[in-house]
Amino acid sequence: MSNETTIHVPAEVVHELHVEEHGAHHKESFITKYVFSQDHKMICKQFLITGIIWAILGGLMSVLFRLQLGYPEASFPILEDIFGKWAKGGKFTPEAYYALVTMHGTVLVFFVLTGGLSGTFANFLIPLQIGARDMASPFLNMLSYWFFWLASVVILSSFFLETGPASGGWTVYPPLSALGQVNEGSKAGMDFWIIGMALFVVSSLLGGLNYISTILNMRTKGMSMTRVPLTIWAILFTAVLGVLSFPVLLSGLILLLFDRHAGTSFYLSDIFVASTQTALPNEGGSAILFQHLFWFLGHPEVYIIILPAMGLVSEVMAVNSRKPIFGYMAMVGSLFAIAILAFLVWAHHMFVTGLNPFLGSVFVLLTLLIAVPSAIKVFNWLTTLWRGNIRFTPAMLFAIGFVSMFISGGLTGIFLGNSTLDIHLHDTYFVVAHFHIVMGVSAFFGMFCGIYHWYPKMYGRYLNNTMAYIHFWITLAGAYLIFWPLHYEGLAGVPRRYLDYSNWHAFKNFLELNRFISTVAMIVFAVQLMFVFNFFYSIFKGRKVVTPNPWGANTLEWTAPIRPGHGNWPGEIPEVYRWAYDYGKDGRSFIPQTEPVSPQESKH
Amino acid sequence: MAEHVHTAAAAQQDESHSFSKKAIWRTFWILLIITVVELALAIIYYESHFLNKHFLNGIFIIGTLAKAFFIIAEFMHLKYEIKNLIMSIAFPAMLFIWFLTAFLWDGNSYKNLRNRYDPHHVQRNNTIVAPQEGKKPGVE
Amino acid sequence: MAQSVPAGQKWWSGGHSPFHVEYGKLMMWYFLMSDAFTFGAFLISYGTIRFASNSWPDPNKVFNTFPVIGEMRMPLAFVSLMTFILIMSSVTMVLAVGAGHNNDKKGVMKWMFFTILGGLAFLGCQAWEWTHLHGEGAWWGRNPFMNINGSQSSTNFTNFFFTITGFHGFHVFSGVIINIIMLIMTWRGVFERRGHYLMIEKAGLYWHFVDLVWVFVFTSFYLL
Repeated sequence: MSNETTIHVPAEVVHELHVEEHGAHHKESFITKYVFSQDHKMICKQFLITGIIWAILGGLMSVLFRLQLGYPEASFPILEDIFGKWAKGGKFTPEAYYALVTMHGTVLVFFVLTGGLSGTFANFLIPLQIGARDMASPFLNMLSYWFFWLASVVILSSFFLETGPASGGWTVYPPLSALGQVNEGSKAGMDFWIIGMALFVVSSLLGGLNYISTILNMRTKGMSMTRVPLTIWAILFTAVLGVLSFPVLLSGLILLLFDRHAGTSFYLSDIFVASTQTALPNEGGSAILFQHLFWFLGHPEVYIIILPAMGLVSEVMAVNSRKPIFGYMAMVGSLFAIAILAFLVWAHHMFVTGLNPFLGSVFVLLTLLIAVPSAIKVFNWLTTLWRGNIRFTPAMLFAIGFVSMFISGGLTGIFLGNSTLDIHLHDTYFVVAHFHIVMGVSAFFGMFCGIYHWYPKMYGRYLNNTMAYIHFWITLAGAYLIFWPLHYEGLAGVPRRYLDYSNWHAFKNFLELNRFISTVAMIVFAVQLMFVFNFFYSIFKGRKVVTPNPWGANTLEWTAPIRPGHGNWPGEIPEVYRWAYDYGKDGRSFIPQTEPVSPQESKH
Repeated sequence: MAEHVHTAAAAQQDESHSFSKKAIWRTFWILLIITVVELALAIIYYESHFLNKHFLNGIFIIGTLAKAFFIIAEFMHLKYEIKNLIMSIAFPAMLFIWFLTAFLWDGNSYKNLRNRYDPHHVQRNNTIVAPQEGKKPGVE
Repeated sequence: MAQSVPAGQKWWSGGHSPFHVEYGKLMMWYFLMSDAFTFGAFLISYGTIRFASNSWPDPNKVFNTFPVIGEMRMPLAFVSLMTFILIMSSVTMVLAVGAGHNNDKKGVMKWMFFTILGGLAFLGCQAWEWTHLHGEGAWWGRNPFMNINGSQSSTNFTNFFFTITGFHGFHVFSGVIINIIMLIMTWRGVFERRGHYLMIEKAGLYWHFVDLVWVFVFTSFYLL
């Protein structure tokens, strides 16, 4: 064990792994193998499959409210059959519409693209790519998943409440979220939301601490930080962001909980409730304070979503271009810069709240700085592709699609980062289109890229390629057909969060366009279901992987057996002699990290 | 592996000198003295208003940061760890600078906004209520 | 620690910890970083609301009672006692960690016992203070104290006071529980068999962190 030099490794953990390495009969019941598993590869699959289920639900919600936006006049009796009083007469009630929008955001941002994405790939790739038997603490790792599961259960059960789930937007701004009397969704649904998110914070904290200490402490011999694949760097910064920003959300939510139930006024002041014609006694609070606390998490959160995707894309792109990644240190440096800036720019979400304009201008400056590391990354990806020997595997297509999405979504970020332009654009579909492309679709592309690339390592089988290509092209075209028109609507001033525009002369001429967008959204959703089918079908019936290194990649996970057992490598953990990107060097297609540098080799 | 743990423990023993009782008690006295000075200043100020309150607050904050430094460096033993670890703790802590600045800045701005545009708010803040009525709810 | 490490060690080369610490201690440090942001967010929120208010109650008037002595006005005396107790228990905790380094089981048990005692004493003081303030009519959503300029105060003074000291008290409470578990484990010889007392060190980090937070809570609520 090359980790032996790590001081104070708990004796019992090493002992346990030792037993399995030698294939002694280690009793594993169904429960310890599939349910309360401490094997990082099984926990990865648990995160992935939970994430997939959440993605289906979250996507379905968007289909439902796109139905409303595309066909505001029509009624669909089947909706009443399914949703009962939430869709009286076959049309969604406003409460139901807002609940759908809110939960769509919450589910996709936190449960799919944070839990599902980092949870899956951090768990899978960290030990395999740095050369470790498992996470630093497999037990806490298991707890991390089960807290995620509990959070999922709480959020899911809020859908079945009498008053419905939270419906004040995924950002849960008070006073709307603090006062049960103003909104059905701000009754019990909001409490469930807060409890669910608190559990989620615990899960992400347990996971994040584990990821950081594993990456720092458990690297195999020779695996210096400048030799780890970019996936690991990206996951490291993601974990740091999560560990430092989620607690701030937790604090904000605790204060919100007190405002809801203990008569405090942290966020409340000077409120008159129109529906009950009463003035509330609360005095001295500031609703803007909550927005600061929320976005102190909320902004790092979007990087928590996008950084792992960037890491996966960098790795897949180098492997499939058969070229070293261009500017490895610049890639690491820009990840670092993005991680720092993530904490400095939060108030650009709040330009029109009454934020001090001068303070706002400081935030504009800091925000626009993000363009620098982002552009460095984009140019490095493009130059990695440049004159590469590209293999258009499904993973590679999604990686390229990611870059395309990231560019077109990132550019509109520069518009929105300017506080003066933001006065016109805030709360319109321009914002919706921007963040869906740059962090929603992009992150999904990164995730798909990762799934297609590492599926053979996860399940020992390939995903079906035909379905994969259909999946890619329709998703790519569909994403642009949905979100480009939304930019146009936003520039024309169409506000977000309205369920029916037919009463507005200025907006009702967009009905046809909305109908088109809704149709595309449904097609794209159907194609995702095809992917899900492909995923589960291939677990059992996919083409079998016969070589341990099907993509000809350098990183350590491909030196392990096709389906590694608990402990990953049957013998010694391999030692590392070079970085992960020696592709197309000295006339060789690839040189694995485990191969010692020979004296004749050219310098890189 | 078992013998390895032992060597780790043995390695620990030779650094036990860094846990010298002298240093611990010295830290204790420093913390105590700073706290006592802070309290004395607070009480004297309460009795006599001998100093500008903002200046006094500056002293309190410096005292607090000094105490925090001694607790982290000596009690939590960070001073004796290697530099990499110290930096990995100290660097993220610097995020607090902008966190604090921006929040307080905007809090102050919110106060100014309300004072400028909400006459009721200003009036309420300038209404003096006698201390003995304290336990009764708001006075209009 | 630096002395026991060979010079010219390549920290980042892999195969060992770049920080020369085991992963558990690293996780504890980063957990404390994270918890610092939780407390930081609370205290900064408190600061923000204070900056957003025209006037605020004077802590010297609010916290001026001491048990037993009764009605005698002693501004801030009681909270100084609490601070002293907590610093003292931090000292005994370091001594326990130091004893652990010498594999001195008896020493660890003795100092852990005093640390637990200190923690319980602190919790007792806090319970008394809360009860006293509650008796004066203060609670979440209720604030009997006037602003320093004599105007009516918003409830946020007490709201933040009870929330933040409560959250800190909750940390002290969990610290006491952790320390009791450590004491029992020491007593049963778990660490002796393991050959090292690193768990005590990690519990110690947590305990000092609670002390550290108190330093900031103390300044924010009682001095500023």
